[in-house]
Amino acid sequence: MSIKSFKGGIHPPERKDATRNLPVEARFPSTKLVWIPVTQGGAPNKPLVSVGDSVARGQKIAESDAFMSAPVHASVAGTVKKIETHLVTGNVDVPCIVIEADGSDRTAFLSPLDPFTATREESLARVREAGLVGMGGASFPTHVKLNPPKGAKIDYLLANGAECEPYLTIDARIMEEDAAKVVDGVAIAMHITGAAEGIIVLEENKADLVPVLEAAAAKLRENPVGPGACKISVALCKTKYPQGGEKMLIKAVTGREVPSGGLPSAAGCVVQNVGTLKALSEAFREGKPLIERGLTISGGACATPKNILVPIGTLVGDLIPEVVTLNPGVAKIISGGPMMGFAMKSASFPVQKNTSGVLFLTAKETALVDEDPCIGCGRCISVCSCRLAPVLIARAVKAGNLEEAKRCGLMDCVECGTCAYVCPARVKLVQHFRIGKLMVRTEMAKQAAKKAAAGTDTKGAK
Amino acid sequence: MGESDKNEIYLSSSPHYASPISTRHVMFAVVAVLLPLALYGVWLFGLPALVTILASVVSCVAFEALFRKLTKQDIRVGDFSAVITGLLLALILPPATPVWMTVLGAFFAIVVAKEFFGGLGANVFNPALTGRAFLLVSFATPLTTWSAPFVADAISTATPLSVIKPVDGVVLSAGQIAQRTGFFSEGDLYLNLFLGQRAGCIGESGIFLILIAAVVLIAAKVIDWRAPVAMVATAVAVTWIAGIDPLLTVLTGGLLFGAVFMATDYATSPVTPLGRLVFGFGCGLITALIRVFGGYPEGVMFSILIMNALTPFLNRIIPKKYGWVKPAKKEKAVK
Ligand code: SF4
Ligand code: SF4
Repeated sequence: MSIKSFKGGIHPPERKDATRNLPVEARFPSTKLVWIPVTQGGAPNKPLVSVGDSVARGQKIAESDAFMSAPVHASVAGTVKKIETHLVTGNVDVPCIVIEADGSDRTAFLSPLDPFTATREESLARVREAGLVGMGGASFPTHVKLNPPKGAKIDYLLANGAECEPYLTIDARIMEEDAAKVVDGVAIAMHITGAAEGIIVLEENKADLVPVLEAAAAKLRENPVGPGACKISVALCKTKYPQGGEKMLIKAVTGREVPSGGLPSAAGCVVQNVGTLKALSEAFREGKPLIERGLTISGGACATPKNILVPIGTLVGDLIPEVVTLNPGVAKIISGGPMMGFAMKSASFPVQKNTSGVLFLTAKETALVDEDPCIGCGRCISVCSCRLAPVLIARAVKAGNLEEAKRCGLMDCVECGTCAYVCPARVKLVQHFRIGKLMVRTEMAKQAAKKAAAGTDTKGAK
Repeated sequence: MGESDKNEIYLSSSPHYASPISTRHVMFAVVAVLLPLALYGVWLFGLPALVTILASVVSCVAFEALFRKLTKQDIRVGDFSAVITGLLLALILPPATPVWMTVLGAFFAIVVAKEFFGGLGANVFNPALTGRAFLLVSFATPLTTWSAPFVADAISTATPLSVIKPVDGVVLSAGQIAQRTGFFSEGDLYLNLFLGQRAGCIGESGIFLILIAAVVLIAAKVIDWRAPVAMVATAVAVTWIAGIDPLLTVLTGGLLFGAVFMATDYATSPVTPLGRLVFGFGCGLITALIRVFGGYPEGVMFSILIMNALTPFLNRIIPKKYGWVKPAKKEKAVK
């Protein structure tokens, strides 16, 4: 098997050993409460339930009319206790529906649907109705991704199992424990998008999963119905951060590049995280909406690293110390991985559809250093996964020269943090880029407003 | 939520991970490879070389600390960058440079060339080279008085570099140069140059040590190969065309030293890969032109300083971005 790769990238310490071989445990805190954010990906939803309502597991509790939205479902059966704001990933307070579980197993799933006899419209409607969003981090509504713009021909459906963030092992566990569902999800996504080829992409450090996935794919081929003819294979990529970035994955596997400002479909690809594909399979076969997810809990300050499966809305803080015990010396609580995750001010935040892990890092493990002056070493340029010139973008942003920042790639930056990782001067490059992007957006909004104003003015003058 | 309440929780933008290599490490690596060169210089040229090196390093560090204290900025002695400037300056001075002159050069290097421009990383011109250029322009004679190795007194000896230059269009062969500079044969000349057994600056002569340093720095990714390789290759090619022995181009003067340690200076050379290639090419070309046609025997210093000034423009040559699409030629269509 040839090992594929892209130019640039880094090799941060992986620290996956702590949880790689631990099976996913289903857990629920004794508080019996879930705080389900009303919106988790896509346009803002409106709650469909009121305080006091009794809800079944899988019942839709919030939705929106917007195309670019995904409904949210009750992850436990119980009673709606309150609807109020709570801290979520990103350190913001958003409206959440609080449900107290009653211990019953009342469910309200959708009815199973055969993905290979359903029409494309029916399938897309099912994906949306099940509330599927990208579980790898971006929370982009899955039905939108599976419905590329007209004219785009999809050649490849890439199942993203790279899991390049250090510490995280949940995707590896999903592939190991639910290979059949992942492969079924690939077949379904291929069927919906019309992709000719499905490729499950792993980093080399998970080479042990190749036979598992290949066996699952072979089994699928035995089945004469539906996806019988599906061409599904497994590809290995170099273990290198950020191999799991959508753009890098496409480049490594197909040699194609997503055009600047465009969608992966412009390169004939649709990329889905393996966890999302498993959920996709369940949404059709079992009619199960996205109401629970697996995640890795780890980090040097976590005494009991593990992979757990919890209902969406479970407060991480409620798992401490019943499920997770901590060592003294927690310096950072991170929702997600150490490269792209969010530093949280407390552990009291709910697991959402896109929460792939929670890390408790010690001061030693994490970078708690001040910014030094840039020495102009150019390291950031040689590692940038998008071949940008990070130092020059940062300088241009600081100088307020947005045009130059854009020329050097400000808007192409995927905020993977690779450049900041290698910077010997600890320049907070990604932070500068976020500020720069914000400046560009405000500038664009201002100009649009001006144009609109000018438009009405001239009309008025006439 | 239990124990974590007791801890102080930090917030910051991602990434939350950083490579263990910091500015200090990078700078220290450079100091580490410069030290053997300095020691070798002391072995060759004796006490005067040691005095020059110490005077340069101590005054560079002191000037930096003093200036930053006076201007109420944080003292950055710990990053070793002033030590590097001090070492570099000393290594490109003649061994017998008077101490007060060395100190003056250090002042120029640190205060004028570096701190006036905003300190570490913000300077435009290479500090060590600026210091030396200032001394050379102000005190030409002591700066071109070379002492031969293993001789106590500074006596003016002819350096191979000074006889390489074509005089009235006549280029000497390596054999003739060997004769004029007191070597037995061509081979003897090459070997002695390679080993640095010749009159010259304190640290520029030990070619083999510079080569080892280059390999170490490039392998450790402390410096990029592009600028030095482009510089040496261009200088060799151009002087060769002018009829000068290519080996002598590399072995004499400060070409190799400048290519490895000066053309790779982070702050004053381009950050982009292609920019570095062009930078090296420019340095090599100007060096060669000065060596062949110029009034000074050596062109390395001026070539690098000239290219330093062009660095901001060379930094505009950025790599081809991922997913870059040729901008549609809208303007033309409108016209
Ligand atoms: S954060 Fe942006 S600039 Fe930095 S390496 Fe990633 S893509 Fe490149
Ligand atoms: S890696 Fe850091 S110090 Fe080096 S050029 Fe980039 S921003 Fe500057």
